[in-house]
Amino acid sequence: MTLKNADKLASVEVIKHNFEQLNYICSLQIATAVFLAYHLGKPILIEGPPGVGKTELAKTTAELLDIECVRLQCYEGLDESKAIYEWKYGKQLLYTQVLKETLSEILDGATGLAESVGKLHEFGDIFFSEEFLEPRPLLKALKNETGCVLLIDEVDKSDHEFESLLLEMLSDFQLSIPEIGTVKAHPDRKPLVFLTSNNTREISDALKRRCLHLYIPFPDANLEKQIIQARVPELAENLRNQLVTFIQELREMDLKKVPAISETIDWARTLILLHSESLSPELVRQTLNVILKFQEDIEAVDSELQTITNKALKGNQGS
Amino acid sequence: MVDKTLVDFVKALRNADLKVSPAETLEAMQCMNLVGYQDRRFLKDSLSMVLAKTTDEKAAFDTCFNRFFTADKFRQAMNDELDDDDQGGDADDFDSDAEGNQPAGKGGQSGGKGGGESEASEDVTALPPTSALGKLLLQGSRAELMIQIAEAGREVEVNKIVVFTQKGLFTRKIMDAMGLKGLQDEIGELQNQNAKPEQQLAGRLKVARDQLRERVRDHVERQFFLHADEQGKQLREELLKKVKLSSLEKRNFKDVQEIVLKMAKKLIAIHSKRRKTYKRGQLDVRKTLRHNMQYDGMFFDLRWKASKVDRPKVMCICDVSGSVSNYSRFLLMFLYSLASILPKARSFAFSSDLGEVTKLFEESSLEDALSKTMRDYGNGSTDYGRMFQDFKSHCMDDVNNKTTIIILGDARNNYGDARSEILREMYDKAKRVIWLNPEPRSSWAVGDSEMKKYTAACHQTEVCNSLQHLERVVSNLLKTAG
Repeated sequence: MTLKNADKLASVEVIKHNFEQLNYICSLQIATAVFLAYHLGKPILIEGPPGVGKTELAKTTAELLDIECVRLQCYEGLDESKAIYEWKYGKQLLYTQVLKETLSEILDGATGLAESVGKLHEFGDIFFSEEFLEPRPLLKALKNETGCVLLIDEVDKSDHEFESLLLEMLSDFQLSIPEIGTVKAHPDRKPLVFLTSNNTREISDALKRRCLHLYIPFPDANLEKQIIQARVPELAENLRNQLVTFIQELREMDLKKVPAISETIDWARTLILLHSESLSPELVRQTLNVILKFQEDIEAVDSELQTITNKALKGNQGS
Repeated sequence: MVDKTLVDFVKALRNADLKVSPAETLEAMQCMNLVGYQDRRFLKDSLSMVLAKTTDEKAAFDTCFNRFFTADKFRQAMNDELDDDDQGGDADDFDSDAEGNQPAGKGGQSGGKGGGESEASEDVTALPPTSALGKLLLQGSRAELMIQIAEAGREVEVNKIVVFTQKGLFTRKIMDAMGLKGLQDEIGELQNQNAKPEQQLAGRLKVARDQLRERVRDHVERQFFLHADEQGKQLREELLKKVKLSSLEKRNFKDVQEIVLKMAKKLIAIHSKRRKTYKRGQLDVRKTLRHNMQYDGMFFDLRWKASKVDRPKVMCICDVSGSVSNYSRFLLMFLYSLASILPKARSFAFSSDLGEVTKLFEESSLEDALSKTMRDYGNGSTDYGRMFQDFKSHCMDDVNNKTTIIILGDARNNYGDARSEILREMYDKAKRVIWLNPEPRSSWAVGDSEMKKYTAACHQTEVCNSLQHLERVVSNLLKTAG
């Protein structure tokens, strides 16, 4: 498989470095996954808690390779007419209306039913040709000439039937359309497929078997610091450390929804807006709703605010 | 050889409960070719992505990988690859013992013969060993030797090793299968002759034999960890599933809990798929219009508003008096492990007074909840009449034609009032009433058991005294709902 800019995926270190250039800080595992996906020509199934950058990984890869990112957002009830293709019914209708007049010319001279039908057959299935085909994301990705990144987002939200629909696409990079035949991706321009899942339900074994499986956990403190540094460079180092320690502490707690990286980034931006220089219980209390999205969680944390903040301040001095 | 290592590894993974398909094995091979053996972590990450597909599997993969590719084995596999490029010489510290064809490998050989390399190799040419095993040991390559050990191991079925004490036995068996006898005879013969080269050869063979024994023992040990550890566990689990719950000992509880969780997971997997069978219901006008556009707007393929089939509303009444408490414990464990597909389960515990424990189970860990339940309701003599009375006054209004009521108890009422008319009332109102009795059917009518009266007012009565029974009951429960 050769895509343009493929040299940017030459080795794991190169990938990691390139991602960093694009402000996507990743662990070695993530880079390994991208490396394998490209070189083995396999889709990646990415699982992990929300907000750890699953979708972002696909987008960043597209940006890195400078190719299009075709995105298919999954939801309950998604079916092939939304995901693969649909006939342009309106156009078909319109054309039949317009062509009604010309029909007699075509049939010119034909006598008897058999002959007319025979003549009509010569025109084949014009109305079910690619002209009248409305490609949806999956088909679009297959037909893309330059290669692309196909992002099938939150595949766990779709139905079981849809998963089965994906199987052909994922294993052979082809799709069957009954009226036309099989559409195959150019062997050298296979789309790079990313599937993401939030684990709201188990993905079927058949699908998993066809994919590489990458689990992205919450980042450790060091990685998270790097991420914040890359994303919110304005934030002072001192505050950044406090912030990350605080968030890491929160993740240890028993909360309904623990803050993810995206929340950390939001919080960092908030603190910049407020021109804060250091965490204090008061400040945290005011901005807690940026990182915690449930009232119960906020209440739970509120009572321990002092301790956690102190820990964050202290941990920072220690390091 | 590299492929073989991988196949063995996959076998070990399967043993550790990972589902690895042949296709995935092939993929892993491709992956290995791509990644190579140079970077252990890189290889581990890569293989983990190809072979382990859930977080649980990833954890199992990690331990398995570390155990299988012990540093020694890893270096060896790497070396095999290097050997292909004729660079085998740089492996200075690994305990090579049988590479007669490689001077460097030989340098690190047995400490017993301090003779120079040239001398040693001259000896080999001067006086070759005659027995097959001897030849292999002194002249064959390391890879060949490993293959031989593995093959002999397969012959004696070393992967059927079950307990640790069999280690010596299997080591011996493998050595025999490799032709130890021939080697011993040869050594004996050589020692009987007084000539120097023969003596030397005998010495070398002895050293090589002892090293081979070490190597075989390592092999057996590794096989034990890879196969028996898990198999022993599986065996234990099978046994525990069948054993009477009342005879389980406290030390088994942890295992049983694990099994229950596993069973529950299986049930969840099976039944959550069925969850969305569509029932015909209201016509969905929008969907129908849209879908029938392709038929020129003729409505001949109607679309219905989908409605999800309800999961059963389960009410579970558990006798927690001494004799039955063990059974109740596991039934409750089951029900709460199924919380994701049985969201509406309510449970009650009694020995005489009935109390609802649903909240307790939701809020605290299984362990805590169970012990609290036992503490609060567990003492006192059994009084089924009282229990039914309480149920009628508190919960009868919540019972409707979607409710399944499970009663777990031995129906031994201490000759008190049975109040089976209340059960009859429940029978009429509920969808199903299931009575689970841990006693065998033959003793249902004996002594103070009221089972006969109660049976008449139940849709179903079952003997239930092992995990297997429990699983069947719960599975049926879910099926009838789907």
